[in-house]
Parts: sequence; C-alpha cells; structure tokens
Amino acid sequence: MTTLIVIDQAPYGSWSGREGLDMAFSLAAFDQSCALLFNGAGVNWLRTGQQPDGLGQKSVAQNLGAAAIFGVEALYADAQACQRYGLADDAIIAGVTLIAPDQAFMTGFEKVTFAG
Amino acid sequence: MADISLQTYTVVITGAPYSSQAPQTALDFARAAVAAGHQIDRVFLYGDGVHIASALICTPSDEPHWPRLWSEFLAEHQIPAVACVASALRRGLIDSGEQQRYELSAHNIRAPFEIAGLGEWVEAGTCSKIIYFHSGA
Repeated sequence: MTTLIVIDQAPYGSWSGREGLDMAFSLAAFDQSCALLFNGAGVNWLRTGQQPDGLGQKSVAQNLGAAAIFGVEALYADAQACQRYGLADDAIIAGVTLIAPDQAFMTGFEKVTFAG
Repeated sequence: MADISLQTYTVVITGAPYSSQAPQTALDFARAAVAAGHQIDRVFLYGDGVHIASALICTPSDEPHWPRLWSEFLAEHQIPAVACVASALRRGLIDSGEQQRYELSAHNIRAPFEIAGLGEWVEAGTCSKIIYFHSGA
C-alpha cells in the first residue's frame, strides 16, 4: 500500500519538488505508507553542502532530514541519474538508497505520484 | 464501445490556467467521465492549479474563462472542489476565513471552491482513483 512520490525537478528553481515533499509528509502524517524517489535533475536534492542562503530559501537537504521523523519510509535515488549529475556516494546525504527505477522497482508501489 | 466498469475519480490539477493546458484537459476529462456515468468525488487544486479558484481572473471576451467553466461544471454536478491551503496562501488565493486570520484587505475564492488541507487529498487516495493533470513542464 506504499505510495511513491517522485521528485524529478532540480531544487530551488521550481517549487514543485517542495510541494511533492509536502505531499509525502502529509501522507506520513495521516499514517499512509509512503516513500520518495529522486530521479533526473531531482537527484540534486540529495547533494551535501547546499548553501541556499543567497537565494533566501531553506536547504532542501535539511527539509529532507525531517522525512524519517515524519515517517516517510525510504528515500530512493536513481543511481544512474546520480552518476550523470556527478553525485559520488560521499556527496549524497545520509539515508538514501540507490536503485534503478525499473519496472521491478516501480511495481513494488501501489501508487506512484509525480509532484508536478 | 467496450463496457467499462464505473469508477469514482478524484481529479487533481497542479497546472495553472493560461500558462498550462492542465485545467482545460482536466475539465474535458471530468465532463467525459460524468457523461459516461462515472463519479467525480472531488477536485483538488494543488501547486499552481489553485489559480483556477480565483474569482479575479478576467479573460478577453473571445477566450475561454476556465475558472468560470470549472465553477459551472462543479455546481451543475455538485462536485466539491478544494484548493490546498498551503499552495493557495502562497499564491494569494484567500477565503474569508484566511482573510480574517491574516488581516488581509480582500478575499478572492470563487464559489464553489473551498480551501482545505492536504488531508483531503490523502483521504481521496484511500477511496477513489486519483488522476493528475500537471503543467507538463
């Protein structure tokens, strides 16, 4: 019964990812099983050392830190997308599972939702 | 036409009118679904989709007025429609309750739209099929 929320947009330039995160937090708050998948440019959410102060925005990596506390079950990232965006394992925040978002992975979820 | 078992749908719109096709495509879907005997149990506006609920949108007279067309459809079929409160407040979509809470000069939600939390969307997911209309960006 797990819902997978997919974030495929880079952070900061678009609000859709943040609204996707809100969806995940809401599901978790209502005791609905959910997980997040970052793919495409969305993997940049997971980069360590983000410094968004100059933009007047909060760090999305810091927002993600609350995911486990809210009860989001897992953070997944497309391993190939991480490679494409130069995200080495040590440049990825803690608690992320690298996967290949193939059919076998996606069929493990009852619902898949894109943020926007 | 093949016999399709009747479904209950929740329509989620995240794309804004006049910058995306989402509200128009969603309305076409909703009209077709109702015409075919399906139920639309609610419409949920999220992200930029909340602009459909604005009472202040004015279009040139020869262009479709998507907020009005949506309102008329919702009223005719008595379908509840909700704009996410977090999305709405950020974008200046305000009902009279939020106007008082934030001491604002006006409110601008078009009937029959209402403002509510994401809990409405969570609840929809437990009892109907959700279909999303995004901006396609």
